Amino acid sequence: MPESSFIKMDAKERDYIQYLFGKHISWGQVRYLRCAHLDIYERNRKGCKVVDAVSGRKFFDCFSSAGCFNVGRGNQQIMETLRDALDEYDIGSHQILSEHKIRFASKLAGLCPGDLNRVVLCASGADACAGAIKLAMGVTGRTEVITMEKAYHGHEGFSLSANGKDYYKELFLPLMPGFRIVHFNDLEAVKKIASKNTAAIVLEPVQGEGGIHVATQEYMTGLRKLCDELGIMLIFDEVQTGFGRTGKMWGMEHYGLLPDIIFTAKSISGGVYPNGAVVFREIDPLVKYVEENPAFHTSHSGGSDIGCVVSSSVLDFLVENKVWENAAKVGKRFKDGLMEIGKENPDVVLEVRGIGLMIGIEYKYEFIGALMADCLARLGVWAVYSGNAPQVMRFQIPITAGMEDVEELLARIRAAMKSMRIYLIFLLPLARIPIFRMILDNLKVQIATFNIVRDIEEFVFGRLLRR
Amino acid sequence: MKKGASKKISEKEDLFGAAEKVFSKALVKMIREEGHGFLEAGRDGSFVLDAEGKRYLDCYTSAGSFNLGRKNPAIAAGFKKAIFETDQGNFVMPSQEKALLARRISEFVPGNLDCVLFGVTRGESMDAAVKLARGFTGRKELITVDGGWYGECGFAISLSARKGKEQFGSLIPGIKTVPFGDIEAARSAISSKTAAFVMEPIQAENHCRMAEKSYYSGVRALCDRNGVKLIFDETQSGFGRTGRKFFFEHAGAAPDILIVGEAISGGMFPMTAMVFTPELKKFFDIHPLIHLCTFGGHDLGCRVAMAALDEYDSKAPWTAAQALGDKLIKDLAGLADKHKKALSSVAGKGLLISLKFASEKTAQSFCARAGENGLLVKRAHVDGSCVLLRPSLLITPEEAALISDSAGKALDTL
Repeated sequence: MPESSFIKMDAKERDYIQYLFGKHISWGQVRYLRCAHLDIYERNRKGCKVVDAVSGRKFFDCFSSAGCFNVGRGNQQIMETLRDALDEYDIGSHQILSEHKIRFASKLAGLCPGDLNRVVLCASGADACAGAIKLAMGVTGRTEVITMEKAYHGHEGFSLSANGKDYYKELFLPLMPGFRIVHFNDLEAVKKIASKNTAAIVLEPVQGEGGIHVATQEYMTGLRKLCDELGIMLIFDEVQTGFGRTGKMWGMEHYGLLPDIIFTAKSISGGVYPNGAVVFREIDPLVKYVEENPAFHTSHSGGSDIGCVVSSSVLDFLVENKVWENAAKVGKRFKDGLMEIGKENPDVVLEVRGIGLMIGIEYKYEFIGALMADCLARLGVWAVYSGNAPQVMRFQIPITAGMEDVEELLARIRAAMKSMRIYLIFLLPLARIPIFRMILDNLKVQIATFNIVRDIEEFVFGRLLRR
Repeated sequence: MKKGASKKISEKEDLFGAAEKVFSKALVKMIREEGHGFLEAGRDGSFVLDAEGKRYLDCYTSAGSFNLGRKNPAIAAGFKKAIFETDQGNFVMPSQEKALLARRISEFVPGNLDCVLFGVTRGESMDAAVKLARGFTGRKELITVDGGWYGECGFAISLSARKGKEQFGSLIPGIKTVPFGDIEAARSAISSKTAAFVMEPIQAENHCRMAEKSYYSGVRALCDRNGVKLIFDETQSGFGRTGRKFFFEHAGAAPDILIVGEAISGGMFPMTAMVFTPELKKFFDIHPLIHLCTFGGHDLGCRVAMAALDEYDSKAPWTAAQALGDKLIKDLAGLADKHKKALSSVAGKGLLISLKFASEKTAQSFCARAGENGLLVKRAHVDGSCVLLRPSLLITPEEAALISDSAGKALDTL
């Protein structure tokens, strides 16, 4: 592999890149990531680790771009497939068929349970979410959609309307009317508002961004029954839960029932080339609608030729290596380990939740999320708290991780917990006073404080180094 | 027939059968009726080959994505190198790849359009753009023009003249539609309640409809006076397609937000972007991570786009696009004179050219006949009686002549 200028970066270069990023994209984002030492510049991305270009330190990737690396980072087989595909293909022509588009779609349908046999190729999760909701509206002729609090589906018009967090929506109103939000895992709440005007109920089998909440069996069974009674399309967002993440190929397989429509993206890209899909059941109202409206959702670069070659190879890798079995096995050890850490730190950890390698720690206070992210980053663990639930830290390491990776990771998390104690001596008593807790939990305060600390730190270290 | 050939055909029919099963019979039928009942296989510069080896001069270029030819070798080489150095990265992180590409785009795009947000699809970038306009201005109202097409996402479809969109509910509220090119209509619609005015400055899918030059500057002035953000979607007209880097340089008025399409990667990577003024970036400084996109600003994709921008800069294909386009439009207008009954008019700018036929049916037959004559063309989305010609900008004069020749032959056999 050729050594290139992309391998290393000194602090000066890093500052310049941050300057460019701030100037052309967002200063806010730079400050946000900088605040908990999360501003690393990834190099040598391999397995479940990356190297920071500035410090040269190895980091565990506990985020995986919200679950994109189910084949591991820098997967040789996938990279070689992509390299070879570049000798033959480009994105290809939208609405013209090719062997790879057809073969990939068929392979994907073949891996879906039951009669989830029909596919619409898409380019991203949001694109696929829009496709799924449009399909449900088209099929039912209805326009109401029920989604969940803290749900995260994307940022384009349909998926944004379906999101369950105000921060993402409130500055862009009005969004689509007819979207109603209910409490997750609360069947009665859905029953109250579901009717023959409801086109779809949309949910993630495990809420990722929402803070790792697993749908209960009763909830899912109840939703399926309700949808059957009222002719509602049940839609599962399998963007994060798909392709082995939860210990089975699909999140839905934990429940022994079929949704009418799923949509998926992220890991199908192999972490190297965007792709996505809507998959729906081969049953009458759905098939009839699509046969009458074959272009109801056309995704221009979705199902590109290169993308389909890569995604086919991803599916092969997942199946050949049965990665979901690894996710289940390694995930169990990881969760058990985190629960032990939780027991050792009952004043900090409220709960450990999740299935497979989609695990979250809920802390007692929101500010602990940011503090812990900082302590972890200092120990070579890149973990972030959930956008829709800052007190929950998500652990979504690449699911190809081995037992030894998890043991090492657990040791570092335990050590980070210990190092956080110093701050907690002062902060925990303060947090019991409501007004202080409000200040501590305030994101703006956190960003400002951490950035000041960081500035001081870099100033002092910079001086020391110069000496 | 050779044994190999018949095997290929039966394989093809098997694959079409599989496509009917996994997508829909109707989709396959639609594609066949357009004269595209083949499997796209090889790529060679301005040409594309089907699985049986038949060559087509690609005048579709997946809606103007392949401005630098199919599978451009320089971009592919840059891409290959990057594969082993980077991957998509973690989307919340700043990265060297994103920062360097953003700087590069700010240098490439004329004027003070210096800031970038990356997306995957055209619709996502349009949705991000109108969200930015609403968020920045604190206003709700959006104005669009008739006959536009911005993609399939929620805001984009709400703003588009898209057939059948009423089946997806009432969509995004607060949208007014005014006739394109009518400055008086724009004047009475734009007010201090308006967040954004949205248009494609040249409506590719609507017979390449353009407005008078004074319209663009007039709308620009109205927007300035009322604090309204002007959004241009140049997904199809950008990166040299119309004889300048961007069409807005012809128009003599720059937008506040520019949408660019897959041509940014030369059609090698699903990437789009919205490019906007530093003034608007304040919104993202104050509200970081308010609009996220997992595959948007994909580190590997950024490297591909860098390679594509290098290629754009070294080839400067807009110069040739202007000259070849002028000649081609003239030749095609000659054909229109000869085939008045079928081909009613020719419109366009540079190498974004539209042929308007007597009916949708005639346009569809033309696509099929053109295919038989080795020309890959597609009908327009908004006005289905139009067929668009959008070849690679790197076509040679001989290839350009071949386009009018083949179009002539197709017209003869209509």
